[in-house]
Amino acid sequence: MHSGVLNTNQIMRQVIYALALGIIASYYFFGWGIVFQIVLGVATAIVVESAFLRIRKLPIKPAISDGSAVLSAILLAISIPSIAPWWIVVVGVSFAIVFGKQLYGGLGNNPFNPAMLGYAFLLISYPLQMTTWASEFLSFSQGFDVFFNLSSIDGLSGATRLDDVKTQLSLGYLVHELQIYSISQSLISIGFLLGGLYLIARGIIFWHIPVAFMLGILTTSILLFISDSQLYVPPQFHLISGGTMLGVFFIATDPVSASTTPKGRLVYGFLIGVLIVVIRVFGGYPDSVAFAVLLMNMTVPLIDTYTQPKVFGR
Amino acid sequence: MPNQLGFDGGVVIPNPYPVEKVEIIQAPLPNQVVLPLQQRVGDQAIPCVKVGDRVLTGQEIATTKDSFCVPVHASVSGTVIAINEQVIPHKSGIKSTCITIESDGKDEWVKNPGCGPDFLHCDTSTMIEYIRISGIVGLGGAGFPTHTKVARAQDCHTLIINGTECEPGVMCDDALMQYYPREVIRGVEILLHICGASRAIIAVENDKQEAFNSLLMYNHNERISIVHIPTKYTSGAEKLLIKALLGVEVPSGGFAPDLGVVCQNVATTKAIFDAVVESKPLVSRIVTVTGSGVEKPNNFEVRLGSSFDHVIAMSQPNKRSHDIRMGGMMMGVDVKDGKVPICKITNGIFVNDQSKKPAAQECIRCGACNQVCPVSLLPQQLYWYAKSENTDKAMDYNLADCIECRCCDYVCPSHIPLAEYFSFAKALHRKTTDDQYRTDIARERFEFREYRLERNKQERTEMMAAKKEELKKKMANDKAQKNKVAAAMARVKKSKKASDDA
Ligand code: SF4
Ligand code: SF4
Repeated sequence: MHSGVLNTNQIMRQVIYALALGIIASYYFFGWGIVFQIVLGVATAIVVESAFLRIRKLPIKPAISDGSAVLSAILLAISIPSIAPWWIVVVGVSFAIVFGKQLYGGLGNNPFNPAMLGYAFLLISYPLQMTTWASEFLSFSQGFDVFFNLSSIDGLSGATRLDDVKTQLSLGYLVHELQIYSISQSLISIGFLLGGLYLIARGIIFWHIPVAFMLGILTTSILLFISDSQLYVPPQFHLISGGTMLGVFFIATDPVSASTTPKGRLVYGFLIGVLIVVIRVFGGYPDSVAFAVLLMNMTVPLIDTYTQPKVFGR
Repeated sequence: MPNQLGFDGGVVIPNPYPVEKVEIIQAPLPNQVVLPLQQRVGDQAIPCVKVGDRVLTGQEIATTKDSFCVPVHASVSGTVIAINEQVIPHKSGIKSTCITIESDGKDEWVKNPGCGPDFLHCDTSTMIEYIRISGIVGLGGAGFPTHTKVARAQDCHTLIINGTECEPGVMCDDALMQYYPREVIRGVEILLHICGASRAIIAVENDKQEAFNSLLMYNHNERISIVHIPTKYTSGAEKLLIKALLGVEVPSGGFAPDLGVVCQNVATTKAIFDAVVESKPLVSRIVTVTGSGVEKPNNFEVRLGSSFDHVIAMSQPNKRSHDIRMGGMMMGVDVKDGKVPICKITNGIFVNDQSKKPAAQECIRCGACNQVCPVSLLPQQLYWYAKSENTDKAMDYNLADCIECRCCDYVCPSHIPLAEYFSFAKALHRKTTDDQYRTDIARERFEFREYRLERNKQERTEMMAAKKEELKKKMANDKAQKNKVAAAMARVKKSKKASDDA
């Protein structure tokens, strides 16, 4: 049936376009690394997905052209440090496509967000590479050398602000003694925020999850902040740090692994927000978007069952 | 507060083939008409004419006693040339017995009884009978016999007249309200009289200002109000219209009269006027012809039984090959070709250039379908269960409430034919429950038989025991009797002896 709304391929493409601002901001601050990550990630996704479809004796072209594998690859590529060595993205994307998607039967059948599954796998297996971030702009050749292990990353790298703050706080510093904001982080976050608003305006994602997600973060972090403003960072820090904005608009809203009922989406988004702050503050990992999303992915069938809308006349 | 003039879900679909001016063009008399005896519901009517008979327009040619069925009338004057099986407009392309009449071009009418303009003097049952003998069914597409519907709505307080176009692209009711506002209003008065309802509401979509104005001009009855409702697909569905107007929901599995409400379509209302006041049975209807395959989409007033091609030809079809569809773009059914006859429920004919449907992709659970379902189902979940033929689970998710409106299909980015899956799942469920029913019956029969055998055995043993007991008693009795007799004999003997001795 023909209608004015977008088809699945167009939706995936729009989401990819909406990522552009955040990616450009990231390029502006940290240079060519992110470009290499994306290019190699996408190539890996296409190769691995095609190979797998061939093994499953399924037509390759329709599945590749729906854009979902490419989108997963991009999401993962921009979530990992831009100076991570080349094989990190290759391993991660392969894992995401094979274990996150194809083994469940392909698009639409995967309970977990493939990109986040790949991310979690990488973080657990290669914690060092996954937590060392670029500290300055890398030129094409610098980025190339780092990407292919041709030169050392010493002097170009550091921990993220989120990580840094966490470490400092654990060392007994108080919040007012710390430098908690970073220009680069804030601008990248704004880039993803604008992209997300575009998607909502186009009707490609619904507002429920992003709004509930941010409310979840705010409620939890405000409660903590009120309880002790020297031990816990102010709420806005959680919103602009790490992968929050990417998570809010691009990861939690992945329709396949999210709740589908309107009420369910609110519950799902809110709890992801809560979990993110809880894991960041009390957990062992520096950033927690992936874990929060994966945990909530598991609860989706339950949420969907209990949030069915009232049927007409019942 | 009830959600006034609205309901959740539905989709706003602009008319894909708009026209400058909505008109009704009189189609010429066809050379022949094919009139199916099987209508949308009920039994097949029984022919009361033979091949070779001359018939007049409006003459009853097939009759029925079933209250879910209405008589069939000749829609032209002429000669019956065949009574045989022909393909009728139906999604499975089935055949049904049809009467074919060759027109003599004179259009001579038969005189039927009616109430005349002073219909208020007629009593209700007479009017209902006139509606029945005029062969009126719901002209909005449902095809339910009107006489039965009004007869069952005697205690209703509110009459709703559905002036919403059931589907985007169809314009026949809009045109009818513009051309026949007086007839519609009078028809509503007749219905008010029959049902005894205290008020009538005519619902017109807010993009049909001209129709609204025409009705307003002819309405001088304060019991009748004319209201605007938002233009949205599925507002025309009876239960949703009631929700939109009155803010109440017809309970799942229930009917409008349960709430004291009865709905009639505007075209049906006009047909009621024609029958009761003008003594004219239903022999023609207004049909919208539209689609990408015609240059001049519009409405045509055409005799029932004319072929689809007869009116398609009038709207300048292009030379390409076409897919022809009866009803609307959403809920209509594809028909084999343009030779099938126009019947009472043919409100629209879509003539589209043949095109390939986009292939369905995987469901990405985007939830677009959940947002538009007018009865608040979760099509995406239903699809999951329908696909895996898990009909019990689908029924848990209220599959039975799906009205197959295809709003969900319309928005699905993966082009999944969701409603088709649902109608399949419903059929499957009916079958499995039937099977279940049959095995249940069989098991019950078996169990009952066992029980009966057991009971017989028991009864028999009890009976035997009783008999034995009786026998014993009898024997004992007999013994006692014997003893008594013996004693008496002895006494007799004794006395005899005594007297002898004396
Ligand atoms: S609209 Fe289509 S793709 Fe989206 S959830 Fe519904 S069935 Fe799935
Ligand atoms: S076809 Fe059924 S499930 Fe789909 S929108 Fe209509 S009522 Fe809802």
